[in-house]
Amino acid sequence: MVAVDGLVHTVPMGSEITDGEIVVSGLTKHYKQVRAVDGLSFTVKPGRVTGFLGPNGAGKTTTLRMVLNLVTPTAGTATIGGSRYADLAAPLQSVGAVLEASSAHKGRTGRNHLRVLCAAAGLPDTRADEVLELVGLAPAAKRKFKGYSLGMKQRLGIAAAMLGDPQVLILDEPANGLDPEGIRWMRDFLQALAKRGRTILVSSHLLSEMELLADDVVIIAAGRLVAQGSVEEIIGNASSVAKVRVRTPKPDALLAALTGATAERPEDGVLLLSGVTAEQVGDAALAAGVALHELVAEMPDLERVFLDLTAGKEAIR
Amino acid sequence: MNLIRSEFRKIRTTNVWWLFAIGALVLLALSFTINALNMHYGVLHQPDGGGVDPNSEEGAQLAALATPVALTSYMVTSGQYFGLMFVMLLGIITVTNEYYHQTATTTFLTTPHRTRVIVAKAVAGGFFGVLLWVITTAITIPATAIFLNGEGITPKFGDPDVIRAMLLNGVAYALWALIGIGIGVLIRSQIGATITAMVVYTVGTIAVSIIVTVLKNVLHWNWVDNIQWAMPSIASGLMTSGTDLPGQPHYWVGALVLIAWAAVTGVIGTLILRKRDIA
Repeated sequence: MVAVDGLVHTVPMGSEITDGEIVVSGLTKHYKQVRAVDGLSFTVKPGRVTGFLGPNGAGKTTTLRMVLNLVTPTAGTATIGGSRYADLAAPLQSVGAVLEASSAHKGRTGRNHLRVLCAAAGLPDTRADEVLELVGLAPAAKRKFKGYSLGMKQRLGIAAAMLGDPQVLILDEPANGLDPEGIRWMRDFLQALAKRGRTILVSSHLLSEMELLADDVVIIAAGRLVAQGSVEEIIGNASSVAKVRVRTPKPDALLAALTGATAERPEDGVLLLSGVTAEQVGDAALAAGVALHELVAEMPDLERVFLDLTAGKEAIR
Repeated sequence: MNLIRSEFRKIRTTNVWWLFAIGALVLLALSFTINALNMHYGVLHQPDGGGVDPNSEEGAQLAALATPVALTSYMVTSGQYFGLMFVMLLGIITVTNEYYHQTATTTFLTTPHRTRVIVAKAVAGGFFGVLLWVITTAITIPATAIFLNGEGITPKFGDPDVIRAMLLNGVAYALWALIGIGIGVLIRSQIGATITAMVVYTVGTIAVSIIVTVLKNVLHWNWVDNIQWAMPSIASGLMTSGTDLPGQPHYWVGALVLIAWAAVTGVIGTLILRKRDIA
């Protein structure tokens, strides 16, 4: 199912850097009017998929571009495996990046696009065909880029990133333009790479997809760090706000039987309780002889946590 | 070396290079014909000197042009005007394509040292310039021989001045690629850069000539005559003029002007690119 196992290693794995840890430290970028990124620090560990989350305009893309030496930081540093991107001896063999889908000459074939990069990075031309096979784009290899669908462009971007079989993969909104099958393919692909010890950093605003894909998350808003940790930790920390949803014909009798619960009443006959577990609510209802038509423990998901954490932060600055 | 190979591939894998080559060759045929007619009626077979006093500067220029050496260099470097323009456009496009097709990101991810990318582009662009020079010269040599023999003049291909003019023509083709790359970095927009460069190259050259002539004739400012040689296109023609014509600076002045232009645009462009954010 996942093509990664079919990866042909003509390039020694991680030939340039052994440890692909990304360390961002005090990274800052000021534009004329805006502090796009403001003293941002976080680390990304190898062997895990790390989701890089934030509302539109939070500074995700600027941060990734600073890590990759495309944008000069106003202050702070970013290192990959201990060195700055510009100091890597063989960048393509150390770090693969997918930053924008529409980044090939429209009149050039996908295969020639990759071969241009092979030549620049000193890789054998055969790598172009290998990565096209890897991302399932081999049938369109000799077609011009202008004829590619958005999903095919995205796959070509991933193919380019995989040319040097890098230890670190950085992707900016890679799910954009992919159909459900493509998103599923990419998830399996990235997770398989992480299992093999690679470092994967993926920015996205698709939170449900991130919850399936990521092991760790870094959440930023307005250019600053909001939270960092494993998905379980982030959601777990927020579980104090977990709520129990109850539908009953006698809400007042049930409330009287519960101690330590605070209730909201979103609609008639429905209680949204915090400070109690679903078990306590069920037991109390039995003891008080109150019928329950619905009893649901509402576990917060990444989306809820994300919205809570980034609430009140200006998205557009 | 890898980078130069990559830049070659960028040029080879699109349609631009052969479209430009065809354009340059068509215009070569056109300019050779115009030059031949000009020489035939304007210089060699002027009825009774055409009213030009042989003792005036113009008369002296015509006489100097009519020598076999000057005629040979003039004819064999035909097509230079448009050829250089195409080389410049190719140089511009090798840079602006990176922005137009958003490949600058991938290019600078692969090679974070941006100066190296510009050097590789300069080498690849210069090579294609020289290649175009080889092709055009291979066409103009026999064409010049046929034309001059038809006029009853023995072409002087072995003359050191003619050989120098032909070789310097090749240098001009290479330098114009570099000028184009500099322009491409300074004006990132593909359309903006190509149109600006073409207008300056064609209209600008003529405009400067007209302004200089007007100032000279109306205000009698004879010194302005020397300003026109600072125009890179006029300097290119001077560099390949073979013999020194009366009233013109030496050929190497043209070469120096052109090298200065290429160096200034190339260095300024590279310095800007090194600092610029790729977003």
